[in-house]
Amino acid sequence: MAEADVITKSKDVTLLEVLDRVLDKGAVVSGDIVISIADVDLIYIGLKVLLSSVETMERLRGAPMPGAREEPT
Amino acid sequence: MEAAKKDLIYLYCVTKKVPKLKEGEGRVYFVYHQGLYAVVSKVKESEFSAENLKKNLANLAWIKSKVNIHEKIIEGVMRDTCVLPFKFGTIFKTEDSLKTMLEKHMGEFKENLENLEGKEEWGVKIYCDIEKLKSTLIKEEAEILKMGKEIASSSPGKAYVLKKKKEELMKEALNRRINEYGQESFEILRGLSIEARINKLLPKEVTERDDEMILNSAFLVDKNRVAEFIQAADGLKVKYKERGLNFDCTGPWPPYNFTTIKEEG
Repeated sequence: MAEADVITKSKDVTLLEVLDRVLDKGAVVSGDIVISIADVDLIYIGLKVLLSSVETMERLRGAPMPGAREEPT
Repeated sequence: MEAAKKDLIYLYCVTKKVPKLKEGEGRVYFVYHQGLYAVVSKVKESEFSAENLKKNLANLAWIKSKVNIHEKIIEGVMRDTCVLPFKFGTIFKTEDSLKTMLEKHMGEFKENLENLEGKEEWGVKIYCDIEKLKSTLIKEEAEILKMGKEIASSSPGKAYVLKKKKEELMKEALNRRINEYGQESFEILRGLSIEARINKLLPKEVTERDDEMILNSAFLVDKNRVAEFIQAADGLKVKYKERGLNFDCTGPWPPYNFTTIKEEG
């Protein structure tokens, strides 16, 4: 039977789990310097750009991409 | 001591009891004001001034290390005191300005901390392996089954039209089932918590997973009911495993999703 392996304690959670909370949740007050909602969006965009470049690198190395489809050449 | 470079004050969380600060988590200290303890550290202007912060936000390695510090420090304090966690990058130029903010929000902060006492935030994200769910639905959905049989006994021309129809039916069935499973899971977990939130779904590019996120939720759970909550999450995981659903249940988190302080602008 499946043990309680559904639980991952916060020690080994992904960067995503942390980002998903600390960037736009938590108490928001007007400090002297704060991160705007636009800045948060930029971080997420940055994250995608980085991930897609990793993908490109793997493709160039010829590693099979999970779920990737053959692209017409 | 080095020549005085301008430091800024970074705010992590606020507590009502003296926070126990761990060594080796940066130079963390607290600022006391009227019954509230603000857990802070000194950070450099070269990294956190408005202008430099903006530049650094484009640097993922920098963000990664800083959000982890943010999280670790709050988790350290949370181990023995109820915390009110702040958003990443809440910065003050002087202690006076921090105290002015504490003064202004004192009532709300205390109220939030009272509400959060004895409770934990748990996160549940549900993902769906669409192909796996499809393969179950093909066997279960009467209409789709019927359509499959009809296609097998049809002329190529008719079969083509029917196939298109079958695809439509499958799409509808997928949507219906995903909603149903997500809602059922959320309701069960909500029943075991004090408060619950549904957050934005994150796209695959961000999650780096092959399966699709179908529910992003957070729950505020009474500490005495956490075991029950986890058991329910595990039960759902087992129940829906064959249908391609994957559950990610994480916690306890600082209660980021359950603070009511949102002073924008």
